[in-house]
Amino acid sequence: MSVSNLLENWSQFRHFHPVDDKPHDPYKWAMSIDLDACTGCNACSVACYAENNLPVVGKDKYAHGHSMHWMRIERYWDEDVGVAGGREFPDQGAQFLPMMCQQCEAAPCETVCPVAATNHTADGLNSQIYNRCIGSRYCSANCPFKVRYFNWYDYPTTDNVWPAEMSQQLNPDVTVRGKGVMEKCTFCVQRISAAKVAAKGEGRIVHDGEIQTACQQVCPTSAISFGNLVDPESRVHKQWKAQQVELDKEAQAKDKHGEEGGSSGLRGYRILEELRPYPSVMYLERVRESAV
Amino acid sequence: MHRFLRLSVLLMGLFSAVSSYATDAPQSAPMTPDSLGPLVEQPIEFPHNRHAKDMQIDCMYCHTYARRSAVAGIPPLRKCIGCHQSIETVRETPRIKKLFEYWEGSKDGKIAAKTPVPWKKVHDLPDFVRFNHERHIKRFIEQQNRPTQEACGYCHGDVKEMTVARRSKALSMGWCAGCHEKDHPVTAEGGTPIGNQAYWYSFQKPVANASGSAIKAKGPNDCWQCHK
Repeated sequence: MSVSNLLENWSQFRHFHPVDDKPHDPYKWAMSIDLDACTGCNACSVACYAENNLPVVGKDKYAHGHSMHWMRIERYWDEDVGVAGGREFPDQGAQFLPMMCQQCEAAPCETVCPVAATNHTADGLNSQIYNRCIGSRYCSANCPFKVRYFNWYDYPTTDNVWPAEMSQQLNPDVTVRGKGVMEKCTFCVQRISAAKVAAKGEGRIVHDGEIQTACQQVCPTSAISFGNLVDPESRVHKQWKAQQVELDKEAQAKDKHGEEGGSSGLRGYRILEELRPYPSVMYLERVRESAV
Repeated sequence: MHRFLRLSVLLMGLFSAVSSYATDAPQSAPMTPDSLGPLVEQPIEFPHNRHAKDMQIDCMYCHTYARRSAVAGIPPLRKCIGCHQSIETVRETPRIKKLFEYWEGSKDGKIAAKTPVPWKKVHDLPDFVRFNHERHIKRFIEQQNRPTQEACGYCHGDVKEMTVARRSKALSMGWCAGCHEKDHPVTAEGGTPIGNQAYWYSFQKPVANASGSAIKAKGPNDCWQCHK
């Protein structure tokens, strides 16, 4: 992409795009995460560290909010079960929510980048171009999910992040980011592009299941599915359809039925839909004991 | 007079500070005369001209992986020896003697037997660039039937005239776009004729020109096609 094309068609790059003249074709990458299956084991987070060359920043920097976990597990506690016991952290009623970049269709981060380092790809990903980023951190400020992470240090040269012998375990398909650059979950774009190259060589499109993201690959309970939302045979498409979740709506069928989906049995929802970022990640609500 | 002295002292101080800073800065590697890349000193001055021009060996005989992976690869030592152990005529030349030191081990014991030759990378793209040899080989050599040396030469220059390969193209993003923004023949639906896939080279749907024949499609307009 040339800079001139980027500037000429700037509004197109920000376009919310499953619209008639620019459909997602042939790919729209999307995810669904079953919170009922998630046990909060953090394997996805660890896999992401390994796959995407994330620096392990250590306790001190973590306390300053400098953590770099693209995939993090958020914990929520069921108050009435837990705190009643008089403990600081209740040991019952934990609920887990894996949180990473939601690859919004109308991404708030894209609109504010002063140098167009983050923009939308034709297959519905929110790309982050490290060598273009100047580190204004505006995108992070505008992200409602707080899933963008900034390199406050030059981690490759920081002590104990990657000791000399560990540089061999870095993934060569992913850049090692330098200081002053914003980064975030990419839906493992290196795996996507490898599969696309393989498919293109054979003159076909990527099959469902051909691409696994690192987090999906390690999930012991298969809570995470990833695939092409355009392909009606894909697992993700079927899940979204079963839950009546639509990409370009800001309120889903489940919301009409009230809390817990009422009697409809629908569990699918997307986080902060009312802000209209149109995220590409659908969560399947946990089936609580109280709802059974 | 005193003011004049003070100024000169200040200037001297400034000069020494700047010069000491300059010596602290890491020295950048020496560049080729045309400033296209670092001047790489190879362990053996490999004669590409002998192999590719005089002997007419296909580039992909040694750089095997180009046709099936992202990287072209350098041949393992075994491949060099595979031919050269039966070429007696050049067996005693200095460069081949050096090559066999890596295979058999040097007499002074500094090089152990079967040590890979530590070739250095000449066409080294930045880490944030994803380039795929396979796609380019498929397009130019398999689909358009162009000669290997011509297709490789688009990016690597006229290697058959070189000894040690030198960078002869800029390999910058603007230089890539120089080819990728030329008119590609695409079908009206936006698919390329190759593999009949509905795939847009461009973020913009390609549009036909007035005559309706050539349809302009700009380069891969998704940054993540090439950047990682």
